[in-house]
Amino acid sequence: MSETALTSSKPKNSLLSQALPYILAVLAAFLATGIFLWLAGFDVLRAYQTILFTSLSSRNGFIQTLLKFVPLVLTALAFTIPSKANKFNIGSEGQLLLGATGAVAVGILFADLPSIILIPLCLLAGIICGGFWALVPAWLLYRFGINEILSTVLMNFISFQVIDYVATEIWRDPLAGHPTTIAIGENAELPLLVSSPPLHSGIIIVLIVAALVYFYTDYTSAGYELVATGSNAKAAKVYGINTRVLFVLALVLGGAMGGLAGAIEVTGNHHRLIEGMQSNFLPLGIIIGLLSRGNHAAIPFVAFFIAVLEVGASALQRTMFIPVELVFIVEALILIFVLLSDFVRRK
Amino acid sequence: MDFELIIGFAGLVFLAMVPYIFAGLGTMLAGQTGLFIVAQEGIMLTGASIGFLGAYWTDNLFVGVLTAIVAGGLFGLAFAFFTTTLNMNQFVTGLALFFVGLALSTLIFKLAIGVTLTPPLVPTLDKLPIPLLSQIPVVGDILFNQNIFVYLSLLLSGALYYFLYRTSYGLELRSIGENPKAADSLGINVKRGRYFAAIGGAMLISMAGVFLPLVYTGTFTEGITQGRGWLAIALTFFGGWRPHTIFIGALFFAAVDVFALRAQVFGGGIPHQFLLTMPYIATLLIMVFGSRWVRVPTFLGQNYDREKRSV
Repeated sequence: MSETALTSSKPKNSLLSQALPYILAVLAAFLATGIFLWLAGFDVLRAYQTILFTSLSSRNGFIQTLLKFVPLVLTALAFTIPSKANKFNIGSEGQLLLGATGAVAVGILFADLPSIILIPLCLLAGIICGGFWALVPAWLLYRFGINEILSTVLMNFISFQVIDYVATEIWRDPLAGHPTTIAIGENAELPLLVSSPPLHSGIIIVLIVAALVYFYTDYTSAGYELVATGSNAKAAKVYGINTRVLFVLALVLGGAMGGLAGAIEVTGNHHRLIEGMQSNFLPLGIIIGLLSRGNHAAIPFVAFFIAVLEVGASALQRTMFIPVELVFIVEALILIFVLLSDFVRRK
Repeated sequence: MDFELIIGFAGLVFLAMVPYIFAGLGTMLAGQTGLFIVAQEGIMLTGASIGFLGAYWTDNLFVGVLTAIVAGGLFGLAFAFFTTTLNMNQFVTGLALFFVGLALSTLIFKLAIGVTLTPPLVPTLDKLPIPLLSQIPVVGDILFNQNIFVYLSLLLSGALYYFLYRTSYGLELRSIGENPKAADSLGINVKRGRYFAAIGGAMLISMAGVFLPLVYTGTFTEGITQGRGWLAIALTFFGGWRPHTIFIGALFFAAVDVFALRAQVFGGGIPHQFLLTMPYIATLLIMVFGSRWVRVPTFLGQNYDREKRSV
């Protein structure tokens, strides 16, 4: 879209000079938000203490952070894998919800199967449904050249109605006040790593997937084709890479990540489909993806940092009545300041 | 369907058209200079939130609209500054501003109103029948018995068309989006044109947002825009970045909107969720068929750096 590709790799400098813009961006974002908080009459220091240390100062907070970390890594990958090929998936929300729907359907319909079969089946259903939800825009791009940014976004709004239908008409939980499905079978629940407070084993799956994606994009020739297409599609085509098919593949892979996020949320966290379970994973995933500049080794670390902030945000709302959106603004500002640092570096 | 019903339907379509027109024209204005904004949804939400609060506190809808315009202008200024002066990627900047708007709208509303059981309300805008013209049978009811937003959107479509295609300023502005280097060499101030278009465009987009609480609901709720900002981008694309075709497209979008809502009442056993997906599915279909004949400003989404050798 512009002369600076999002995924371009910077010349390797020392670690400090690479980290410096990020540190400055975080400080600047907190400073800007601090002024806003101070003007609004809040205790700024206490607020920041809550945001930064809630997740690290208690066992419960730390496990909450890990639970947030799982879907954040996957929605970030849903954005970054296509962005390697210079395609933009803004539809991880819908892909997550469809993945959750697939997992719920399998978990309810085949509730009697033994865990060893049922859990992989649920996850697979999520991956397929999420991938399918991305296949629609990918096919529109392949066949008609439709801009994928808009079509992936529109698929989100369709998915809201799909899960509303599933949660109110097909498997409605009559006891819940909010559109929710009945619970999946116990055999479909992911085993717990820690029982109290519960931490499910989805985090292991996520770390493996993140490592595999890193290996795929950075160490395989198939992954290199993706990167080559992203940096110069014309040149890649001349070299004999079928770029149009590659765009489809990249988008569907991204959708599969979103679908897996939904399936893990269902089998590990909620054990049912709940309207609104997509939370703000879509924008956060994009922020994480953009902050890591498509570097797949960095994504888990950035995602963990954002998860810390998010857990701090809910604590902030509970204890100081500051709306959670405040931290979201901090995160968006960090993104803007990191982007700004590019400009400063160029000068 | 009887005749009364059709008139009522047409009247509603012209009302539902308003946010699409404003947001579409705003997107178009910025796009004509080559700026591609994707923050519509965030700008509209902020316009709706801040505009509503302005109207609520002063008991004056006009003040509400003004505050929304100012808020939108600030977003436009930020977008122009980041992309034109700092040369940052337009798409990423747009996304970042979308996130800021998304969060800011809810944050400000929550901080200002707090937790209440009953939502704060403003009286929604009344109809303003135009004397004489509204007496014309059929047409008068549909076109001239509406609120002031509807008249404004019609006037604005015409005014923008005249400005862009019948004045030299408009020609200069459009030339920036077609070829900024050529425009620059002719002495046209590319940066100033882009700042002007971004600020003006974002103001219009923000007005599309404030329409929703002030005319439809009387209050602000999270996600009040329901994706209209994104639909406006699609509308602008298949409206070929021209005011008059955007107007026709907005009518179509509004008709689908109204039809989806009406069909829920008449039902026919179709689950309402499927009817509510219609605007989005219709948009996808239109993008398929519209992609054949759309004309996009050549430098849409690309920054112009006059110090660079090749653009």
